[in-house]
Amino acid sequence: MECNEVMHALILFIDNEMQDEIQVQTFQTHFEQCPQCLTEMEHERQVLTRMKALLSDECCEQAPDDLQSRIAKQTALLAAQMFSPTQIITEYRRTETTFNGETHIEIETTHEIRRDFPLS
Amino acid sequence: MNSEIEIKTPAQLLATETVVERTARFERDAMQYTNQLYAAALRYTKDPHNAQDLVQDTYAKAFTSFHQFEPGTNLKAWLYRILTTTFINTYRKDQRRPLLSDGEVEDWQLAASASHTSDQGKSAEDEVLENLPDGEVKRALQEIPEEFRLAVFYADVEGYSYKEIAEILGIPSGTVMSRLHRGRKLLRVLLQDYAKERGIGGSNGM
Repeated sequence: MECNEVMHALILFIDNEMQDEIQVQTFQTHFEQCPQCLTEMEHERQVLTRMKALLSDECCEQAPDDLQSRIAKQTALLAAQMFSPTQIITEYRRTETTFNGETHIEIETTHEIRRDFPLS
Repeated sequence: MNSEIEIKTPAQLLATETVVERTARFERDAMQYTNQLYAAALRYTKDPHNAQDLVQDTYAKAFTSFHQFEPGTNLKAWLYRILTTTFINTYRKDQRRPLLSDGEVEDWQLAASASHTSDQGKSAEDEVLENLPDGEVKRALQEIPEEFRLAVFYADVEGYSYKEIAEILGIPSGTVMSRLHRGRKLLRVLLQDYAKERGIGGSNGM
């Protein structure tokens, strides 16, 4: 295996995203024989570990206190809407007109959806 | 012969779940992730006010489709997926900015990655990382383009695999890998730049 192939796929090795054990073995064998690639891999791994620690320390903002209660209120409101019965009223209107021996039929359908909206 | 005992599968239980039961389950299982969702939302919106709205909208969508969540699977990842779609549908709709596609970003910062780095370059970078003031990494993360920022956040803060990130962001695993690779490189380049401004780690050897 060539050094540049190893370098190109280094991210997969470091992230434990290699396709299979055989591929992992191939890389390990290369690292045993190539101190330069080994140093590179160890440096990359060390930098990544450090970056992960820094990122995790800094990207853990706490949600403001009122967000939790806003969400709880919203959930209660949505639950109440699910609770309230929905009525569907369907009306059919059929109009038949005969004029000079010609019959004209008109059918009209309306659906009315009724739901109580809860008071917040 | 005891036919009175009926064992229900989780799916059957869900089908007969009342609104009250579902609400209780949602509050018990989903509400514990508010802080993590807020931290993620800040990576999407960059602004605390919009991040709060995004989290609230995410919880509304999550609650109304909670019956579709498969118990036993990863709830936090499911919520992150909803966060992503909510963000795309509501917050990005009116911005209409052209998204960088993965091939369009300059490759200059990746040029060094296929060859060995000099020892000098390595120690310069170590020096930079050891001397970062508080908040500097977050500042750099917020500065890189959205698609790279999100890949880095889910991999390096949340610790998700490429496959999980692919599901959360709705993109192929290969795209996750390239965004992550570019995102990390961009981050390191930015941190070197910040350090140079402060006069640390003079040589930009990567």
